[in-house]
Amino acid sequence: MRVPLAWLREYVDVQLTPEQLAERLTLLGMEVKGIEQWGADWRSVVVGELLTVEKHPYADRLHLTTVNIGSGEPLHIVCGAHNIAPGQRVPVALPGAVLPGDRHIERTEKMGIASEGMLCSGDELRITADAEGILILPAEMPLGRQLSDLYGDAVLDVDVKPNRGDALCLIGLAREVAAATGAALRWPEIAVEEAGGPIAERLRVEVREPELCTRFVGRWVSGARIGPSPDWVQMRLQTAGMRPINNVVDASNYVMLELGKPTHTFDGAAVNDGKIIVRRAFQGERLETLDHVDRELTEDTLIIADPRGPIGIAGVMGGADSEIGDRTTEIAIESAIFDPVSIRRTGHRYALRSEASLRFEKGQEFRLARIGADRVAQLTLAWAGGSVARGRVDTAPAEPNSSQLAFRPRRVSKLLGTDVTAAEQRALLRRVGIETEEAGTAPRIQVAVDPRPLAVPAGEDLVIVATVPTWRRDLAIEADLAEEIARVRGYESTPAHLPATLMPAYRPSPLKVRDMIRETLAGAGLTEVVTHALVSSLDEARLLWPEDTSEPAIPGDLAAQSGDEIVVTNPLSAQHSVLRRHLAASLLDVLSLNERQGRGDVAVFEIGKGYARVGDGPREWTRLAFLMTGAAEPASWNRVARPYDLDDARGIAELLCQRLGLPTPSYVPDARGFPFHPGRALVARAEAGSEALSGRMAEMHPDVLARWDLRAQRVIIAELASPVLDSAVPARVRVEPIPRFPEVERDLAVIVAEGHTAAEVEATIRRHGGALLRGLRLFDLYRGAPLAATEKSLAYRLVLGARDRTLTEAEVDAAVAGVRSGLESEIGAHLRT
Amino acid sequence: MDFESLSADLRALQQRALDEAAAAPDPESLELLQIRYLSKKGEITTVLRGIGALPAEDRPRVGAIANAVSEAVKAALAAREAELHAEVQTFRLAGERVDVTLPGRPRSRGTLHPIPETMAAIAEVFGRFGFVVYEGPEVEDDLTNFQMLNMPPDHPARDLWDTLYVDIPGRLLRTHTSPGQMRVMQSTKPPIRALLPGRCFRYEAVDASHGFEFFQVEGLMVDEGTSLADLKGLLDEFAHALFGPRKTRFRPGYYPFTEPSVAFDVECVVCDGVGCPACSRSGWMTILGAGMVHPVVLQYGGIDPERYQGFAFGMGVERIANLRHAVPDLRYYLENDLRFLEQFR
Repeated sequence: MRVPLAWLREYVDVQLTPEQLAERLTLLGMEVKGIEQWGADWRSVVVGELLTVEKHPYADRLHLTTVNIGSGEPLHIVCGAHNIAPGQRVPVALPGAVLPGDRHIERTEKMGIASEGMLCSGDELRITADAEGILILPAEMPLGRQLSDLYGDAVLDVDVKPNRGDALCLIGLAREVAAATGAALRWPEIAVEEAGGPIAERLRVEVREPELCTRFVGRWVSGARIGPSPDWVQMRLQTAGMRPINNVVDASNYVMLELGKPTHTFDGAAVNDGKIIVRRAFQGERLETLDHVDRELTEDTLIIADPRGPIGIAGVMGGADSEIGDRTTEIAIESAIFDPVSIRRTGHRYALRSEASLRFEKGQEFRLARIGADRVAQLTLAWAGGSVARGRVDTAPAEPNSSQLAFRPRRVSKLLGTDVTAAEQRALLRRVGIETEEAGTAPRIQVAVDPRPLAVPAGEDLVIVATVPTWRRDLAIEADLAEEIARVRGYESTPAHLPATLMPAYRPSPLKVRDMIRETLAGAGLTEVVTHALVSSLDEARLLWPEDTSEPAIPGDLAAQSGDEIVVTNPLSAQHSVLRRHLAASLLDVLSLNERQGRGDVAVFEIGKGYARVGDGPREWTRLAFLMTGAAEPASWNRVARPYDLDDARGIAELLCQRLGLPTPSYVPDARGFPFHPGRALVARAEAGSEALSGRMAEMHPDVLARWDLRAQRVIIAELASPVLDSAVPARVRVEPIPRFPEVERDLAVIVAEGHTAAEVEATIRRHGGALLRGLRLFDLYRGAPLAATEKSLAYRLVLGARDRTLTEAEVDAAVAGVRSGLESEIGAHLRT
Repeated sequence: MDFESLSADLRALQQRALDEAAAAPDPESLELLQIRYLSKKGEITTVLRGIGALPAEDRPRVGAIANAVSEAVKAALAAREAELHAEVQTFRLAGERVDVTLPGRPRSRGTLHPIPETMAAIAEVFGRFGFVVYEGPEVEDDLTNFQMLNMPPDHPARDLWDTLYVDIPGRLLRTHTSPGQMRVMQSTKPPIRALLPGRCFRYEAVDASHGFEFFQVEGLMVDEGTSLADLKGLLDEFAHALFGPRKTRFRPGYYPFTEPSVAFDVECVVCDGVGCPACSRSGWMTILGAGMVHPVVLQYGGIDPERYQGFAFGMGVERIANLRHAVPDLRYYLENDLRFLEQFR
């Protein structure tokens, strides 16, 4: 809310600078987001006095004027306005002046005659809405003074929180200033001169929905003349951020800003039969609202109607037909209290949220309906003339008394963590208008209200009863008073100390395993990325990343196998409209972005969630993906570049398994083709008891790269899921005793047909190596002469040993022979020696 | 042959051998000298053959001289050998000189993203004070995200959290990490000290300071007598740990799920409190919101508000990271331009 200080000072004395005031309000909970210097954009605009006004010799519509600006020779200024006469004081923009909208004023020539500046309209200065005539200043304005010295003001931008609807107005903020400084609050004098006939002859009101409209106060003004408001009124509205319209609408807006009471003014002639009905709209009813949109009303919309039909949407916006216009003379004033929820829903339904509806949504002080109606009538009479009908229409004239709220000063102190005496607490409350007294009979303490009310007996504690002012609808429980006491006392005076109470039980952090993996992957040369969880619905179709493998079931990863996409029903854009199940497409996006920056070598990883819908519920589980392309080892003066390939992906998976305490993963080829290279894709799996890690790794199919418009020729992506990523406890290392007897190494070159995978060969060796085979490592892969074109040679180093003895040569030979014959018989291998 | 001439021969032989050893150009020459003088058929032995012609009393004297000569020659050969070895080694090493000022062989290490890193830094500080980490679901229900946090349907404060909804009835994408408070309270008993990091979503247009996906860390502490003063003390420690010895400010805020509510500021990290555009000239930057857990919320969490009280706080991870690393634009985080990420070496 914009708060012009000059206007605020009408209700409370302010001895502080704007900056000091801003800090005091902020520390009181009324956060000042900024201070605007109103008038800072009138530069070199001064007060001048018109000496002469003559017709321009060559242009009928222009005048030649001479203007005294208090010093130097009078200025010769050409002016197009018609409301000027000698003796008037006017704003003069001197050559070099800058006006709002960054408009620069220079010496010019108009129809052959030089003009040494410009006379300004109210609109040009954004002081009033009048763009036709020159702004005529009061005669006492000192000649030559900068206009910004006279009309400039500081405007505070106050962030009023949703629970403090009462402070969304100048009076409300003046109350806060009074609480902060101890200054007295001055209410405007509200008195209505009622010179007209009884209102009953003019206006009748029928409220058919008393739940939704708890009070309706009506006033009537006859014989008003519509025109612009006085300049000072327009100026106040402008500084507060509201555009002046006419004297009647301005009166309504002025009262909203002043008292926080939204009201509405209807053209009385458009209220048929002088009867207002507050009801729900009928099916099919329509209304053209003030913004000239023809709206179809729904049956749950609360409307203001006359016997013929709707004339306004209650609390939100009036109808165009009953708008106050130039020919309006009869004015019906509505000052009502509407149900906040109903107004809020209506505002959302029609996407219409006005300054008025925002205030209604936060709830209104009941008596403000009466006060607001009177104030609007008073100001309308003052600014537009006419006569006010005698009396008001009031559907609920009985105004409730202030409510009582009991609190225990000892509990307040306990909540704040500091001893504040009961007397001090009471004194602090008095500063925000809350009177207190010691409770007679022990009342119950309201600890909580809806939606989970709780009231308890006070017990032995001293109980104070506070009388809550009617405007403070936010104060309903004991803790609310604790906040009042704390904020008036100043949060700064709360002591600071570290908690000295019991610690909770130890609980391992779920971040720990992931942090370990992150460090490991960064150490392996991969850079971490964090991408959007919301992705395009097209991404899945564009990539067709297969679902996670299903055999054997991986605990915690069921969602990935059978879940559907979760779709956002109100997305911001199609690019971010579904929750992703896989990370791979996001990594391709990262590659694409970085390629556009000229990066060819990209190696990134992400640990992020996958989301899917399983039955009626959502499932979320943690995934790990990495993408590599370009050089694994960039060229340097001492080495040539080595490109990333699928071996790197497997190496990283193996490293991860080591860190997680899982066995070396096994690999199964995946020849599905798209989105993978048909000959370079695999499923990896490592299992140890209930722990498991599994996923896919592949060089991507060239068509995928084309779909992402990538320049890269080869892109490796791996995506893994594992319950380990969500578990807090990394696997524990179990030590095996260091062998006491020497181990023996034997090398074996296994020549097999191309069709046999390394995994097969290795499995065969392990199966036949028996208990003596303690280690196995592939150290060479060879193709070419003298092998047949359909063959390859895999060279393994076998480590043989026993825990309890040194193996004899014969034992070693027998073991190797077993492996050899197994290889020969099972996969038709022969061995080179 | 007499004793005199024999010993003179041996002395001459020694002199010659020493001279030759000193002049030997390489290990091979030393080998030859060794054979020539010291082997069984070497010159010393040859000279000693004449010993038989000497009187018996002279023989041991000649033997002693011969031994001395033999030792001297051996020593000379060894010395020369060591000398030659040193020369060769010096020569070889000289030839192996490299330009030690060349850059090293690159070891490429990736960098870690500032969001999880900042979360880890936050968790580290609060971990010191016994806060344990929990994680809640990102696809939440309206009940936990709003209603149990004291925001019934149509509550005006819901405007503070513009919401993205999903096609599962009653579910939404959590707008803050605060529903995690509820899940912790419902699953454990006081004393509670919990930290809840995670991703959140809001219906919000993207610009330099807003995004529809962002990260928060929520804290919750509940016990008998946990007070606003405890909150203040803890937040001061946190601010000092992350931002150094700066002034902090504790002022009223507003959240439906806390009462009293708090906004927590630190002295502007850009201008050190003088006032600059980054802090709207106030000298302060708000880093988190907090407050005493509302009795309605405690009750939904299954906790008796008459016996227990507690505080909660919530902070935007990007905000903390922005201030620590002077990141100018929120969009940097999820865009993943390597020119940004690789600065976090």
